[in-house]
Amino acid sequence: MLLELRAVAVAYGKVSAVRDISLEVPDGRIVTIIGSNGAGKTTTLRAISGLTRVREGEIHFAGERIDNLAPDRIVARGIAHVPEGRRIFPDLTVEENLRTGAFLRREREAVQRDLEAVYDRFPLLLERRTQLAKTMSGGEQQMLAIGRALMTRPKLLLMDEPSMGLAPKIVEEIARIIGEINAQGVPVILVEQNAELALELADYAYVLETGSLALEGPADELHDNEHVRAAYLGI
Amino acid sequence: MIELLAQTGLNALYAASYTALVAVGLVLIFGVMGVINFAHGELFMLGAYAIVAVYADWNLPYLVAVAVGMTFVGIVGLGMERAFFRPLRDNPLGGLVASIGFLMILQALVSMGFGVRMEHVPPVTQDVIVITEKVRLPVFRLAVILAAVVLLASLWAFLKKTRFGWALRASAQDPEAAALQGISINQTARIAMFIGAALAGVAGALTAPLISVNPHMGHSVIVTAFIVIIVGGIGSLEGAVIVAVAYAFVHTFVTTFFDGVIADIVGLLLLLAVLIVKPTGLFGSADRA
Ligand SMILES: Nc1ncnc2c1ncn2[C@@H]1O[C@H](COP(=O)(O)OP(=O)(O)OP(=O)(O)O)[C@@H](O)[C@H]1O
Ligand SMILES: [Mg+2]
Repeated sequence: MLLELRAVAVAYGKVSAVRDISLEVPDGRIVTIIGSNGAGKTTTLRAISGLTRVREGEIHFAGERIDNLAPDRIVARGIAHVPEGRRIFPDLTVEENLRTGAFLRREREAVQRDLEAVYDRFPLLLERRTQLAKTMSGGEQQMLAIGRALMTRPKLLLMDEPSMGLAPKIVEEIARIIGEINAQGVPVILVEQNAELALELADYAYVLETGSLALEGPADELHDNEHVRAAYLGI
Repeated sequence: MIELLAQTGLNALYAASYTALVAVGLVLIFGVMGVINFAHGELFMLGAYAIVAVYADWNLPYLVAVAVGMTFVGIVGLGMERAFFRPLRDNPLGGLVASIGFLMILQALVSMGFGVRMEHVPPVTQDVIVITEKVRLPVFRLAVILAAVVLLASLWAFLKKTRFGWALRASAQDPEAAALQGISINQTARIAMFIGAALAGVAGALTAPLISVNPHMGHSVIVTAFIVIIVGGIGSLEGAVIVAVAYAFVHTFVTTFFDGVIADIVGLLLLLAVLIVKPTGLFGSADRA
């Protein structure tokens, strides 16, 4: 198993945010976590990438324990996190943003090749490479955030609501890109409120409800599940 | 008249030089670490005392003393980061209070070591460049201005062109997002603190031969630096440099043609005016204020 969470619990001060989360991500797959506002999706991703302390439980990545390592150590091991709200660096240019993703990498040529690969994938970013990131539209910023994460050369990509606030056409585009990245061998954990999109893309799904896992299963099975249809697909 | 204007202009540039060095360090530390370093004036003071010790007392060459002062104060900055800014990272008010405590400790230590008196540093050079019979520019002041320009340009190149400079700017804009790119917050905090403190130290070292050095000399410098960074927009390095120059010109000219107290009042009035018209400072953006 590439990534494994064992009975993980996280709290903000005294308030418990998630508890008893156990989930697995096999190599090469897309796993999704769906759930409504405040269910604990973001908290789970933040625990994995070290932004928030794990209170209980363990996180294992590629055979090693990573819970409560510093975020930069976790990136170094190959977990990239495209955070909720994109969080690009507003006053850096597009290219500078992308290059921060390669901060830990010393092989200049490989970094240059990856940069070109990102520009191939997102030709829009190439056109705007010298522009300040804050002057870009939401969709462009999302692509920049994804490109920046790819520059870390991830072995696992965490994505927190990449479709948030974007027009349907752009959402489709982002979905296509996530599929493409995965097809090229990068496993993904996709967190979404857009359950339709998530279940379509993913191989396996977990449903989070008020801080605990309510349901899990292959994505197509959950797509047909009564409860999921009523609560998340609005059917 | 032209002589007086030329001399005063040079004095203003000279004041702008060390003010900018102090203010830029303060902004860098605030930008990366999110804390106001109240002990920054005392770091300036330490730099000046390095000159008293190494140059005046031990008779080593002035440039050696400047290098020692800069490095020593930079290391003091590293110590501050480790001792209290890091443990208090999630508590900016705590960091501020700790830096006030540290300021008093530094003043006390220096008073114990050197005594509470004015130290007079022998002049480094008395040379003047004679432009005309009446316009004579002291070489030392010109050298200080040049040194400040070189230091600020190097800082700019570091921030824009190097990997760690990038990391510093990214960290200042969004520490969490920077951590997700593998940029260690401890590391950027250390770099910012070393550079920020070293700049204050070198400013103190460069001005020491022209002012009277005493344990409380940090006060007026920090007040000026605060005015400069607030008017410039806290968080803006360019703002700090530009406003340092503007403020120094206003202050120096008013001091020369009226007097120092009026100059201080004018400075504060300008601060007030800017805050009323643009509360985020001239070069600040709303989200950093
Ligand atoms: N920094 C914080 N401090 C305190 N409580 C927090 C913090 N961040 C999240 N929480 C709480 O933890 C719980 C889970 O929040 P989380 O952001 O993980 O939910 P989410 O599933 O990502 O929601 P959304 O779909 O709205 O993004 C919520 O009750 C939230 O109020
Ligand atoms: Mg969320």
